[in-house]
Amino acid sequence: MKRSLQVVAVTVAAVSSLGLSTTGSFAASAAVAADPNAKVEYSGTLSILTKFGLQQLSPYFVNLAQDYEKLHPGVKVELIQESDDSVKGKTKTLVASNSLPDVYFSWTGSWGGNFVRGNRAVDLSPVIGPDTEWGKTLSPAAVKAFEYNGKFYGIPLYQDAKFMGYNKQIFAKLGLKAPANFEELLTSCDAIRKSGATPISFGNKEAWPAIHFAGQLLAYNVPQATLERDFDPATADYSDPGYVAALKQFSQIVERCTDGAGVNGTSYASALQAFTNAQSAMYYQEIIEFDQAATPDSALKPADFGFFRLPVPDGAKGDAKSIEGAPEGYMINAASKNIPLAIDFMKFVTSKGNAQVLSAPPYGQPSATIGGASEKNMSAAVVDGLKDINAASYLMPWLDTANPPRVAAVWLSSLQALAGGSMTPEQVMDEVRKAASAAK
Amino acid sequence: MESGAVLHGVARPRRPKSLRARFGNLLSFRWAAIALILIGWFVYYPIVDNFIVSTTDQDIYTGEVTNVGLANYDRLLHDPVALLALWNNCLYAVISVVFQVFGAFLLAAIIEDLRSERWRRLWRAVYFVPSAISITVTGLLFYFIYQPQIGLLDAALSRVGLSQFVMPWLGNEHSAIYAIIAMSQWQGFGYSTLLFAIAIQKIPRDLYDAATMDGAGPLRRLWSITFPLTREMAGLMIIVTITGAFQVFNEVMVMTAGGPNNSSQVLGTWLYQKAFIEDNFGYGAAIAAVIFVLTMLTGAAQLWYTKRRRVQL
Repeated sequence: MKRSLQVVAVTVAAVSSLGLSTTGSFAASAAVAADPNAKVEYSGTLSILTKFGLQQLSPYFVNLAQDYEKLHPGVKVELIQESDDSVKGKTKTLVASNSLPDVYFSWTGSWGGNFVRGNRAVDLSPVIGPDTEWGKTLSPAAVKAFEYNGKFYGIPLYQDAKFMGYNKQIFAKLGLKAPANFEELLTSCDAIRKSGATPISFGNKEAWPAIHFAGQLLAYNVPQATLERDFDPATADYSDPGYVAALKQFSQIVERCTDGAGVNGTSYASALQAFTNAQSAMYYQEIIEFDQAATPDSALKPADFGFFRLPVPDGAKGDAKSIEGAPEGYMINAASKNIPLAIDFMKFVTSKGNAQVLSAPPYGQPSATIGGASEKNMSAAVVDGLKDINAASYLMPWLDTANPPRVAAVWLSSLQALAGGSMTPEQVMDEVRKAASAAK
Repeated sequence: MESGAVLHGVARPRRPKSLRARFGNLLSFRWAAIALILIGWFVYYPIVDNFIVSTTDQDIYTGEVTNVGLANYDRLLHDPVALLALWNNCLYAVISVVFQVFGAFLLAAIIEDLRSERWRRLWRAVYFVPSAISITVTGLLFYFIYQPQIGLLDAALSRVGLSQFVMPWLGNEHSAIYAIIAMSQWQGFGYSTLLFAIAIQKIPRDLYDAATMDGAGPLRRLWSITFPLTREMAGLMIIVTITGAFQVFNEVMVMTAGGPNNSSQVLGTWLYQKAFIEDNFGYGAAIAAVIFVLTMLTGAAQLWYTKRRRVQL
């Protein structure tokens, strides 16, 4: 037996050392910066990973690719289009296998920071920095959202933030107004439920929708400096009492405004559909979904669609003017064989004309290009939402991309448990603290 | 027949192989070389590589690899979600064996006992249809059946006066895994039934006729003829079912993605969560190694059992 154990130990040691030699060869290369004077070679294949995989969004990049290929017949654009959920796993698979495409989608925060840390993204400061020709065509705040260690790594495509969409007809029928504070939201929910309608359709099967409610409530209840300290694994302690307060408010929303424990059995898309079908009075959604929630063909018409920020709870100690959201954009692969071509393609994507197409229905993604979000082409709701985003004092990042993945995973599962009633706010925070401590 | 066999009562002495014959044997391997290389590269190398990765901690972004020995396996033993996932896999296996092996065997015996060939064909087809649907499509279909607001199941329960059983089947931590397993039985039951039906068809009718003449009733014939003569198929089905239960992934991903609160995680989805969501590829590889060992052991045990208990006609 002893001899067998020795054999196992020796084998494991040998196998491990073999593993080091095998996998060590995947180490990332040195940092790469864009050269503003590089000549663009209009030939070869350009691969792009987008987050526009949904049926209603996918034509945008398909059309852009066709237009670019027409302009430059020597170039072939290959698209990998994924949805919001699938792009996460796909990106990590591509990173792990060193197969990232030339251009790839990225969120801000720790998600984008990982690419920078691993030298997987081109430093675009010389071409997209605030004083550059291209940089001047983009919203400075959006460009800054992709700033890491004083350098700019991302090409912001559109702005995004979370609002409560509501059905004006249902509200008017019940004599309700857009709630001015958190308590009013809860009493509105009671009135709507009494009428037989679902107050807020909420699908949390994917777990991240709960993160969005919680994220906004955290921004209201926890000071910004504390939040940012806790997002950093080195300084995180998640001890502020505002966390528990925010989660208690989230529980109140689940209990009084939604289908309760049933939300975990409903998908985000089904909940959106219920709102679009006018079966629910409200739906907490991103501005980029406004044009999908209300269309001329749906039961909820664009004229009946309204929105408001999630109301602020009384006595909340955080930033009452903050809004949860962040621009989303693209990065250039540092290992790309044709970085100048990739940059040229993204300049084409963010040109004013293409930006206006992106901002208008059916896409409704408010472009980060200055002048790209044209009020003439856009839905009134998206225009107003964009103004609201610009008026926000702080953009609270998505909780699951701001935290390290292992802490984010605990937020996701624990908030599902809180929504389902199997955990208390205090227990959720205990789990988050444990994960944050382990991630140090 | 063994070499050196007795022919016409005289034992033929074993002749030593010449060098040329031995070399010729080695040369014959060249015909299989490409297949061996492909199998080695695409089947066996990844298995070995997975064990290697499981002894490391990797940062996929920087490419940094740290040797952690057996730490990932130690962590696995103390990970409550991994243990819950293992339990869910076992639950999956036990329920699947009950329905997809024993249940399918009984159903196949009943169908094959029908006198009309037309009815036999019809019922085989009826039970087989769900197996022809992709597991992802089935998962989505059942997601809508279990949906709390518009789902068929809750609506049916309410209509028949069983509203006390109405619940968000996939959204409840206690029912989610059972709801997924139930869907899986619906999907896999017909396929197993068809395989058992084929095995039963191979049994000579004379045996049943003789048993009937001896006064054996349907249950006796089932127990004394059908059961022993389909034991090999049953063994095979048990291997396939248990192995499948430990490799389950798609249906869970589509229906709950392991939630709510990790209550429906199985080893496959927990592996995905750890490796592809939490960037912990070393730990994910350790889970994969456990799945590999479990399925190998199951397969080996069942093969040994069926070999021992094989009944030949």
